Amino acid sequence: MKKLILVGLILTLAVSLTAGVAMADKVKITWWHAMSGSRLDVVKSIVESFNATHPNIELTAMFTGSYAETLTKFIAAYRTGTAPNLVQVYEVGTETMLDSGAIIPVYQIPGMLGETWDWGKYIIPIRNYYSKDGNLWSMPFNSSTAMLYYNKELFEKAGLDPNKPPTTWKEVEEYGKKLRDSGVQNVLSFGWPGWIFEQMFATHNQLFANNDNGRSGLATEVLFNGDFGQMVLETWTKLAKEGIFIYGGPEYSANTAFKSGQLAMLLQSTSSLAGIEKGSQFPVGTSFLPRFEGYPMGNSVIGGGSLWVTKGQSKEELRAVWEFLKYLGQTDIAIQWHKGTGYFPTMNSAVKALLDEGWFSKDQNFLTAFLQILSGRRDTAAVRGVRLGPFVEIREIERAAIEKAVSGVMTPKAALDEAAQKANQLLQDYAQLHK
Amino acid sequence: MPEDRFPGHRFLPYLLILPSVAVIITFLIVPFIQSVQESFYTSTAFGTKTIFVGFRNYARLFASPDYRQSIITTLIFASFVIVVGLSVSLAIAYLLNQKIKGRGFYQVALIWTYALSPAVAGTIWALMFAPATGIVPYIVNRLTGGYVLNWMTNGQLALFVVSAAATWKMLGYNIVFFLAGLQNVPGELLEAARVDGAGGWRTFWKITFPMLSPTTTFLLFVNMLYSVFQVFGLIDIMTRGGPGNATNILVYNLYRDAFIHLDSGSASAQSFIIFIVISIAAVVQLRVATRKAVYAR
Repeated sequence: MKKLILVGLILTLAVSLTAGVAMADKVKITWWHAMSGSRLDVVKSIVESFNATHPNIELTAMFTGSYAETLTKFIAAYRTGTAPNLVQVYEVGTETMLDSGAIIPVYQIPGMLGETWDWGKYIIPIRNYYSKDGNLWSMPFNSSTAMLYYNKELFEKAGLDPNKPPTTWKEVEEYGKKLRDSGVQNVLSFGWPGWIFEQMFATHNQLFANNDNGRSGLATEVLFNGDFGQMVLETWTKLAKEGIFIYGGPEYSANTAFKSGQLAMLLQSTSSLAGIEKGSQFPVGTSFLPRFEGYPMGNSVIGGGSLWVTKGQSKEELRAVWEFLKYLGQTDIAIQWHKGTGYFPTMNSAVKALLDEGWFSKDQNFLTAFLQILSGRRDTAAVRGVRLGPFVEIREIERAAIEKAVSGVMTPKAALDEAAQKANQLLQDYAQLHK
Repeated sequence: MPEDRFPGHRFLPYLLILPSVAVIITFLIVPFIQSVQESFYTSTAFGTKTIFVGFRNYARLFASPDYRQSIITTLIFASFVIVVGLSVSLAIAYLLNQKIKGRGFYQVALIWTYALSPAVAGTIWALMFAPATGIVPYIVNRLTGGYVLNWMTNGQLALFVVSAAATWKMLGYNIVFFLAGLQNVPGELLEAARVDGAGGWRTFWKITFPMLSPTTTFLLFVNMLYSVFQVFGLIDIMTRGGPGNATNILVYNLYRDAFIHLDSGSASAQSFIIFIVISIAAVVQLRVATRKAVYAR
């Protein structure tokens, strides 16, 4: 009898120990991201539901500041061996990450884990942006593009049809004059001026840099100070002189003016849609970016960020990270992310599901970004997005050139030439370092 | 001699200062040397490859019109903060030194700006001057019948606003020291001056101001350090160095190159340049001003 009790006790102890060990065997992974404000809430909710449905994984998502701060932290952490398993990097950091030697390209991950994955599930323009030689290197996550927002009320007041926003820049000028004369203080502005400048190239199928926009090899020369670029900047400068265009700051600052009814038209990221609609007391209209007549069709370009998987993880951690990436690819999660933030859902299946449930008929503004990007070209390098090593600095150089031209300090040609000279120097330095 | 102060313990003094010295070496001297070393290289963002480039980083900086402009911007900015800041705070401190009703309240109200974080101070001024929704452009618009004060396109205005914000923020600190200095002016001297028939203005310039010279020297130095080194946060919040690099002071340019452009070589070179400049300015200032300052009665 005593022996039985002893054996029973030992068995119970053994079971409880193994159970304890099994519970403590949660794979812990960390994810650093730059999603602030309301986007942070959506991130938290997705991470919570992931952890709840994957009891053997514990994912900790940390907000590590702006995109630039997150990347800087990641670099410092990687160099000291304390990097997170997954990191969100902005689109302008793509070349830096590709050349870093610090990441595992995502297309290799299923193979490493003995799984397969259909890369065709992702929306093509987004997939193209983050691909190299046809293979996806980082996981699409928060992609947006730019579009035209306009204030339907102010349009009506100026005698314009609220359902006919301007299609060309000529119309922007025409309508702009009418809006200005009807008392609108500032007619047009945009956020992220460097990005909008690049958008103009992509939407008209014009190359921004050599070597196929830096996609077939490291770019060594920018092309934005050519005829097309000059024409774009001259148009904007002219509009500024006519009191139609007002420079709205480097990032999202023009949104406040638009929401408070001070701006009639705004070129801004599609991810601002939910925030703009919520904060505006008037009907908001959206449409494609205005075009320059006489130039070929292109496509609007992807902005935002993507997720990169750090090198040097254990197989368990990598498996856990891959589970999370697959989770993000689920239709319902993709939809949750889109509805909560306004970023594109990355999966084609999500587009169908949104259509089926009547999401686009509820608020047509959410359809604009999709139609713009899905109706454009996808085959040329000019529409796939620019890839430059020192892209962050070059975007600032673009911004400075736009500011100087628009404020009248320099002529558009001089400003662009100066910017091109600086950019080319940076590109050559980068190429030298990354031979 | 150390042996006299610690009889029997020859090495004790050195041991006692060892922790401080170790900290200074580890956290100041070593990084400083590494930084100077790094300024002679160019490296990838992840540090995977470095190429020795000699003085290229320095040569590029001095050849770059943007950097030269940044030096000028910093000089203008620093001059504004120092000259306007010290004059205004001295005037305010002088007024605060009078026996008026509510003096306590005024003192607190004028000094609290120093306690604000740069982020808050920057946001306040940015909102005040926001072109579409700020109160100052609104007032200017009303007064001038339609002129839009847009600091995002007007570089000089942006520099002015940023200088004003930086000065405003430092007012509290300057006022506290000036007030203390004023209160240390011996009453007998002022009395004697009054008896001799000297008016307020003369008394101020001939007696009060010279007696304040130690404080002024000190504040000159602190404000110089502040305006060149410590105004990063304000600029980052308000203008990010724009528009068109109009407010791109040296330390902000350094930040951008180091942490946003990930160009550690150039940033290290810039930090060394600033170090040299500040050292020279400090030495000059301490020599000249100390000689002129009246420390004893």
